[in-house]
Amino acid sequence: MKRLILLFVAISSINAQISFTGNTETRIGESSSGYYYNETLINTNLQYSAFTNWIQLEYSDPPELGRPINGVRKFRLEYDNGPIQLKLGDLYEIWGRGLVLNSVDDQAIDRDTGIRGLTLMYNTDSFSTQFIAGRADISQSTINALGFNNRKHNYHTSHNLYGLNIEKLFGDHNLGFSFLQGLEKHPVNTFPSDTIDIKNQLHSLNYGYMSSLFDFYVEYIMSRSYEFDEDTWSSHATGRGLYGNLNLYFNLFSLNFEYINYRYATIDPVSRFNPVDYYGHSQPYQNPPVAVHIHENVLMNRISHQTDFNNEVGYKAELMGSFSDNIEFLSILSESNRTHSWVMDENFMWKKDKKLSSLPNYNPAAMPFNDFYSELTFRSFNNNLFIKLGYADTKDIVDLLQNTVTDTSQSLTYSLASAKTIPLNLSYSFSDGWSIESKIELQWLKKGYWWYEENNNEIIADSLMSIFLDDDGKRVEEEKNTFISFTVSKSPKWSLTLTSDRTSVKESFLENKSIINPLEKFLDINQEKNWVNIEFVYHLTTSMRLSLMYGSLKGGLLCTNGVCRIIEPFDDGFKVGLSTVF
Amino acid sequence: MLPLLIVSFLFADKKREMMLPDLTIKLISGKKTRLSTLLEDGPILVEFWATWCAPCKKEMIFLEEYHKKYSDRGFRVLAISTDSPKSMSKIKSYIRAKKHTFLVGLDPSQEVAKKMNAMVMPTVLLIDKDRKVSWFHQGFVPGDEKEIEAQILKLLDINTQIESD
Repeated sequence: MKRLILLFVAISSINAQISFTGNTETRIGESSSGYYYNETLINTNLQYSAFTNWIQLEYSDPPELGRPINGVRKFRLEYDNGPIQLKLGDLYEIWGRGLVLNSVDDQAIDRDTGIRGLTLMYNTDSFSTQFIAGRADISQSTINALGFNNRKHNYHTSHNLYGLNIEKLFGDHNLGFSFLQGLEKHPVNTFPSDTIDIKNQLHSLNYGYMSSLFDFYVEYIMSRSYEFDEDTWSSHATGRGLYGNLNLYFNLFSLNFEYINYRYATIDPVSRFNPVDYYGHSQPYQNPPVAVHIHENVLMNRISHQTDFNNEVGYKAELMGSFSDNIEFLSILSESNRTHSWVMDENFMWKKDKKLSSLPNYNPAAMPFNDFYSELTFRSFNNNLFIKLGYADTKDIVDLLQNTVTDTSQSLTYSLASAKTIPLNLSYSFSDGWSIESKIELQWLKKGYWWYEENNNEIIADSLMSIFLDDDGKRVEEEKNTFISFTVSKSPKWSLTLTSDRTSVKESFLENKSIINPLEKFLDINQEKNWVNIEFVYHLTTSMRLSLMYGSLKGGLLCTNGVCRIIEPFDDGFKVGLSTVF
Repeated sequence: MLPLLIVSFLFADKKREMMLPDLTIKLISGKKTRLSTLLEDGPILVEFWATWCAPCKKEMIFLEEYHKKYSDRGFRVLAISTDSPKSMSKIKSYIRAKKHTFLVGLDPSQEVAKKMNAMVMPTVLLIDKDRKVSWFHQGFVPGDEKEIEAQILKLLDINTQIESD
């Protein structure tokens, strides 16, 4: 492969018709708690006439997340000539809004749902069609399979896929149809280990309309799965999903509204994120939209809602606009829950209770989530001064633990995360490229178990048992989190950022050893409740960027687009990053 | 691995101009266009951004200003969104609410971003009429806008000089 890359470089130097570009990214980190990684990614793009070739090489031992790779990680050869396009290799394709197909490579959470195969496209101004065939090898970390590990995936499925997508434009109207079939090898928890064969079929129809006053998009999907048993395919499960989006444009503001209604499977509260024993429902290569706002601030993202792609109904409404040239506003409300409420029978087994309406519901037994966020942005002094102040209020019923109901009593217990957060962002740009920026986030977080007990119309209990304990082991109702960062930069060469991430109580689920590093000693802070780091970014040239970090980073939940992963803390260590473009 | 890194670092020298392929870019209107078509009137500045990227949105305020200020000299800004389907529905409402008038492209699978070597958000590329990248910058801190304008002017002045010769 090294020879191949050098050959590409040589070819690009002697032949002006060939375009060769690429980039490298090297990241090394080591903390005193034993967390170590060393990884380099190299992307190369070679183009000759209508052909393009992309190769991604990885050299890691170990990578930050996932398993070590030394060699080619991804590759793709493309042919693009007028209306015809052909791709061969690792494919990342999106059909419609991703209800049928949205294969992603999200390295931040080590989620790769790419397809290795070929795709043929035919595109004109008003018509496009795409055929795809290939295999998706998808892995994930789950406690439902043997060998659970936060850093390395322990469960792997393979899907042989083929499908067709057709889109037709009629003036301002757009109509689309998709079909995708996957033959899945699904490992099950048996001894000795075994796999079962599943056939998953997805059909969808979408319609869109665009005008200067509003846009509208709706997509409906039907899923059906079959299990291979005794030489025949027998029906296993059916499901359906609906996604709608409406954008309204006014003079001073615009409104964005999204609605989801996913009903692929109704799985009990304990097992709903168990991909091993519950199969043939929503597929990992689908990745449809979620009714969750992706927050820009750090603390809100740590309590982001994990979407149940099998069973969730919700909406997100976003209003944004400006009061004047200098003052802008944004308000977002998102709500979602499961399609049914759940109760326990006399044997304490979960069963579906009431089927709820197609709009979000506040019934705790349906695990509702709601999030309100509002912000004001103010700019002045020729846009040199920038102030953004926000407020967020979130409540998420994460798990339902018990709900027993009789004619005269109810006993309900659920785990809850709720928070009020105030983010503030200030920056000022001086002359000659100097600038300062500060981010301050304050959060009052409640986490724990809500217990509701009613007997003969008398409420016996209706309160939260917090999981937070103070230094004396006494239960405290809420945790106060403070995130502060201060940056000084000299554009376009360098920036220096000091970050402090502080909690008011020790979080028992995060192992944070009492390692006092010189930075924390200098700042005289309690390391058990603080994560402090300093980062220096230097642009060696316009195409080379070096970053150096020293200190600690708080681990916890990292969520992107409704998919979450627990990240380990990084205590008292160094991180070095170097990216180049060539 | 080491020889590859050395080669890439050598090629990362700022004196070497990166030549881009004639990429197909999908615009927010739903139409597809070629990079060469966009460059017919003059140089363009491409910014890769996303609706969840705060520094990108700060940078866009200045890009809008430069798009208007230098459009009479053939210069245009193309902001390519890398939002996935999970946030792409609000791209248009964001652009409309902020009254941005520059061109907006869509790259939800980040294929164009990879081909233009945009690894972090935001990344800006200043591209001349011959598809050569005259300036490349990753990230945005307040103050970078002055460097962006200086680079735009530098490229426009070179173009004016070439045309007058």
